[in-house]
Amino acid sequence: MNRVAFSLARMNLIAGNTFREAVRQRLLPLVILVAAAMTGSAMLFRDFHFGSSELKFVMDVGFGALTFFGAILSIVASAQLFFSEIERRTVLTVLAKPVWRAEFILGKLGGVLLLLLVYCVLVTTLLAGLLWWCETALMKADPGAFEAGRTVAYAGLVWCGLVQWLKLGVLAALTLLVASYARSSLFAVLAGFFALVICQLQSLARDYYGMMDSSLARGGLELLGLVFPNFQLFDVADRVAAGGTLSIGLIGGIAAYALAYLSVYGGLAVYCFRHREL
Amino acid sequence: MNAIEIDGITKDFTPGLFGAKVRALDGVTLRIGAGEIVGLLGPNGSGKSTLLKIVVGLLAPTAGACRIEGVPSGRVEARRGVGYLPEAPDFCPHLTGFELVLFHARLGRAPRAGMKERVEAVIARVGLVEVMHRRIGTYSQGMRQRIGLAQALVTDPRVLILDEPTAGIDPVGAAEIGAMINRFKTQGRTVLLSSHSPGQIEDLCDRVALLDHGRLVLQERVDELTRQGGRTALLVDPLPEGVLGELRGWLQARGVEFHGVEMPRSRLERVFLETVGRRSKGGDERS
Repeated sequence: MNRVAFSLARMNLIAGNTFREAVRQRLLPLVILVAAAMTGSAMLFRDFHFGSSELKFVMDVGFGALTFFGAILSIVASAQLFFSEIERRTVLTVLAKPVWRAEFILGKLGGVLLLLLVYCVLVTTLLAGLLWWCETALMKADPGAFEAGRTVAYAGLVWCGLVQWLKLGVLAALTLLVASYARSSLFAVLAGFFALVICQLQSLARDYYGMMDSSLARGGLELLGLVFPNFQLFDVADRVAAGGTLSIGLIGGIAAYALAYLSVYGGLAVYCFRHREL
Repeated sequence: MNAIEIDGITKDFTPGLFGAKVRALDGVTLRIGAGEIVGLLGPNGSGKSTLLKIVVGLLAPTAGACRIEGVPSGRVEARRGVGYLPEAPDFCPHLTGFELVLFHARLGRAPRAGMKERVEAVIARVGLVEVMHRRIGTYSQGMRQRIGLAQALVTDPRVLILDEPTAGIDPVGAAEIGAMINRFKTQGRTVLLSSHSPGQIEDLCDRVALLDHGRLVLQERVDELTRQGGRTALLVDPLPEGVLGELRGWLQARGVEFHGVEMPRSRLERVFLETVGRRSKGGDERS
């Protein structure tokens, strides 16, 4: 009897199908539209920039929209695309073929990652276009302020988009892990949003642990804190908005951090789904 | 070698964390030979779907073992020669029928050469070739069931597991699916199907296994069960007055016991099939 080996081709097939389903459900176009509207609306509020420069304001709002709507897309798509297969019983027809459960769940994750990549690329491109257009208008109005050339680091924008994609990918893997053992998509969505809040507040929690007297309690809590990633590490947009650059070392470190969490959450999701009764 | 071997399968479910254990199957043993069509008959909740899921390897039994062509059904390898249609599948409405069957052909490792032609041929076999590029969301229930059958057939399986294959389908569609299942027999495929319709099992299956409250209470050849104790029925034109009495006397004189007279009636299903089936022959159900 020939063994059926784990197949990347089948995993990619499931990922492609998941992506196609998400696009045809109009989930992606809807979120992109809302994020684009939010980014574009920054143009209307340029006069209320609270002391920061106009371009920085547009960039802040743009990345804020990218992250906020991206988080919604990440959580909802992960939970919904997984549970739609369970509720419609189509998962049974897929797993009745010579398909490993790991191929199915990682394929689902791959499909959501592809969806998030398309989302991040489109919204980052839109933001870059908007900034370019704004900057060109400002250069015409006040050439003196731009004697040294353009001030926005467009390459940095691309790296920012990539880092946001990694962050949203980790969130998707965490939501899929919850979905792999949860009984309803609503539970998975709510748990995903709670996890998002916890991950965003990780740096505050770690500061608090650091102030504890008992080294045992501090160590225990820090260990427990490792269960969730620190999303503050992914917030590099401020650095770019302030005219700074992102080093390859920093990007590589963030990518390794995200990949570690993706692997752990993905592995745990595979483990839970292998033991799930369908 | 048997195509399917089910040995003392027991399955318990525990609803929630602290729920009481529910026994869905209790020591079911069944052997299905290659090329045989076996029907699982039983009321709702008797454990038919659970047993089929265990056979396909989608559920692990609490006790017992199941093998498909000698391979334990929990192993991925066992599913290489299996086609499965779950009860009332609701395929993604945004995919077309062709895309769905192509996806399953690729998953099931159908040969790459001529894959699209094979997909079209299978869709034609289930009578959906005219609508295969339409989204499944526009299909009727019967068409969805047939596209489900197409995804099960596209890898050319030797063993077919069909859970209520005609559920929610009108008699014309059910008769077409029945004819398709009968063809599987001539192709040497093994079929295990579930139904709560005794008529369907009688029409399609060589053997019936009756499940009740998770126990296999009977397994027998269908023709053995339906044979009526050696009686003979005569069907004749309406008898003129007095002839029935003469006939009875003639039979009794020869030692043949006369049991009664019945006026045979057409089954409503047959009238429906003859009327509607004739009209829609060669066409599909349209949504």
